[in-house]
Amino acid sequence: MSHATSTRVQQHIGDPVSGKPPVPQAKLEEIFKDIQSDLRYDHELNGCLNCGICTATCPAAHYYDFSPREIVQLLWTENLEGVYDAMQEKIWACAQCYTCAARCPFGNSPGGLVMLMRETAIKHGMQSAKNVLRPFSRVMLKLISTGNQLSPDMITRDHFPDWGPNVSKIDAPLKLLRQAIPMPTLNTTATAWEVNLKTSIELYTIWEETGVLKQLETIDENLFDVITDIMDEKREDWKDFLADQDDQGGKDE
Amino acid sequence: MNERFTGHGAEWRDSNLTPGEAKIATSWVELKIDRRSMLTGKDRVEDVRDAMWQLEKDGEIVVHRVADEHEPVIVKTLYGWDKKIPTTKLWHHKSCGQCGNIPGYPASLLWLMNRLGIEYLDETDQTSCTAWNYHGSGIGNLESLAAVFLRNFHQAYVSARAQGLPDAYFFPLVHCGTSFGNYKEVRAYLIRSAKLRERMRTILGKLGRLVDGKILIPEEVVHYSEWVHVMREKIAGLQEIDCSGIRATIHPACHVYKMVPEDAIYDDNILGGNRLAVSTGVMQALGAQVIDYKTWYDCCGFGFRHIISEREFTRSFAIDRKIRVAVEEARADVMIGHDTGCITTLDKNQWIGKAAGKPVDLPVLADCQFAALVCGAHPYKIVQSHWHASSTETLMEKLGIDWRAKKGEFLAYLEQVKEGRQENLYDPRRRITSGPGFIPIAKAA
Repeated sequence: MSHATSTRVQQHIGDPVSGKPPVPQAKLEEIFKDIQSDLRYDHELNGCLNCGICTATCPAAHYYDFSPREIVQLLWTENLEGVYDAMQEKIWACAQCYTCAARCPFGNSPGGLVMLMRETAIKHGMQSAKNVLRPFSRVMLKLISTGNQLSPDMITRDHFPDWGPNVSKIDAPLKLLRQAIPMPTLNTTATAWEVNLKTSIELYTIWEETGVLKQLETIDENLFDVITDIMDEKREDWKDFLADQDDQGGKDE
Repeated sequence: MNERFTGHGAEWRDSNLTPGEAKIATSWVELKIDRRSMLTGKDRVEDVRDAMWQLEKDGEIVVHRVADEHEPVIVKTLYGWDKKIPTTKLWHHKSCGQCGNIPGYPASLLWLMNRLGIEYLDETDQTSCTAWNYHGSGIGNLESLAAVFLRNFHQAYVSARAQGLPDAYFFPLVHCGTSFGNYKEVRAYLIRSAKLRERMRTILGKLGRLVDGKILIPEEVVHYSEWVHVMREKIAGLQEIDCSGIRATIHPACHVYKMVPEDAIYDDNILGGNRLAVSTGVMQALGAQVIDYKTWYDCCGFGFRHIISEREFTRSFAIDRKIRVAVEEARADVMIGHDTGCITTLDKNQWIGKAAGKPVDLPVLADCQFAALVCGAHPYKIVQSHWHASSTETLMEKLGIDWRAKKGEFLAYLEQVKEGRQENLYDPRRRITSGPGFIPIAKAA
């Protein structure tokens, strides 16, 4: 694996007109090294001749100042300041469709590289990441606390006014409509399906072991507090269940 | 001499090709697009399943096999490799977006399975794949995605214990396209990386989710649309409503065939093997007219993050690049998809077109919903068409379904539901396989 060194990097970066202080070289190298150190990096980046097929087929490139070709070039040429700049906004334009990856003659995955850059932006607590992810907090709250990413009660006219009046074409309470779904796991409103308590408890261990909670704390401390409170409550419920089981076992004996 | 700026430097010279020569020189571009555009680099792509079998031989992992009792059907993937699709004894790995937002999607699938006598389990002990959140936010990482994958698939492996049946009885069937792509990508990294496997042994060990101290990897990652595809002739055998007058456009889902493309199904008898076979295959088997349109290759505009917080992009892309093209160019009666995010995006983002002077109205359904509908499933009780914002009613009218009468039946049925007498597709007791609420089958019987 290559290292975070480059012959193209300037000693100082920043806007010479604004006089904003440059980002220290050591910080740029640290960020780039974090991107490079992911085991997926070498699989996702194999070379680039600037053919632009990726950008030609990119949906985000139609609407944003975003080009997967540029992302690949910045990483391939180890343009640390360009990588840093792209992490301020551009990487969040990617729609993650992987059309670029399917088309690249080199077998690169610009969409996959964008994910490594997003993860790194979060790890470094970049303000850009915090700003971009604020509206996504409902999904994160739901996912991390329940194991579901979406629930029926999230789809409301208030939250999606542009989807029109037809959240449901049958005018009846949500709870009743959900009970009328012929799959018993789906008779829920606060989660997409009924989630076993044991499942949630196992998921919390995964979050802790893989650093996801740490990511969350870096990006949104308040949300982190809310979620850890929910996790504590559910773990108490699980302990109570196990204690009841023990009691039941004792009685059976 | 006219001044020109080519951007190629002073050495640049015009080729002076004749139009015929120019066509020959550039025709490969069209060929690449028209003929399986993803064949590039085929020789450099390895079949990770080869490495998977070697790892099992070396005692590193256990492989959950698609066994004879799963009655597999063999299909061909992009490069002509074999893929085994189990057809029965299936563990439904649900989609949060489908269940939360388009519940007729999984309900139609289970209804078709009931009609075909397929054995399955729909249980509560599973999480989302977490990949929608990951691709949208960047919260999560390869380790968390891998641990969730292994955890859920291990549960599929042991789930039959609750019914007194052996391990490996049920094989997982993945409902969501994003889960499908994500799980295949993660499986490949698990097979390639000893370091990642070691981390997973530690984490899955803490969860009690190892098999003989080893991580469990499925022989195949199977999407529900692949099941529908291999069962399409049997499904067509159930058909009650003629749909030969229906013009259908197909939206192939990016994470189903652009992500890990070597695992997607292609069939020489379907669109000449040029495009993904699933969904098109079942629509043709049912006798619908599958109509091409020029933006078939585009994504839907979902964007993962965009549908929540950058909806101008999502709805503009959905309307301008997909729905309008399907309506104006293909004169489509319906757009058929096979993934959660696509169906949601294409269905929900039409109404706002009126505000931009671009009124569009195209029914959007999943392939299994359309199949269930023409096989006689109730449009509201089973297909749950009332959750679709697009005008599924116009499609039903073209199919000769009296949707007003069906809606009336459903409203009457809601009164029955209020009294706690809802109809289910399976015995509700089976949904809990351990933990709170679990009733062992022996006691429940």
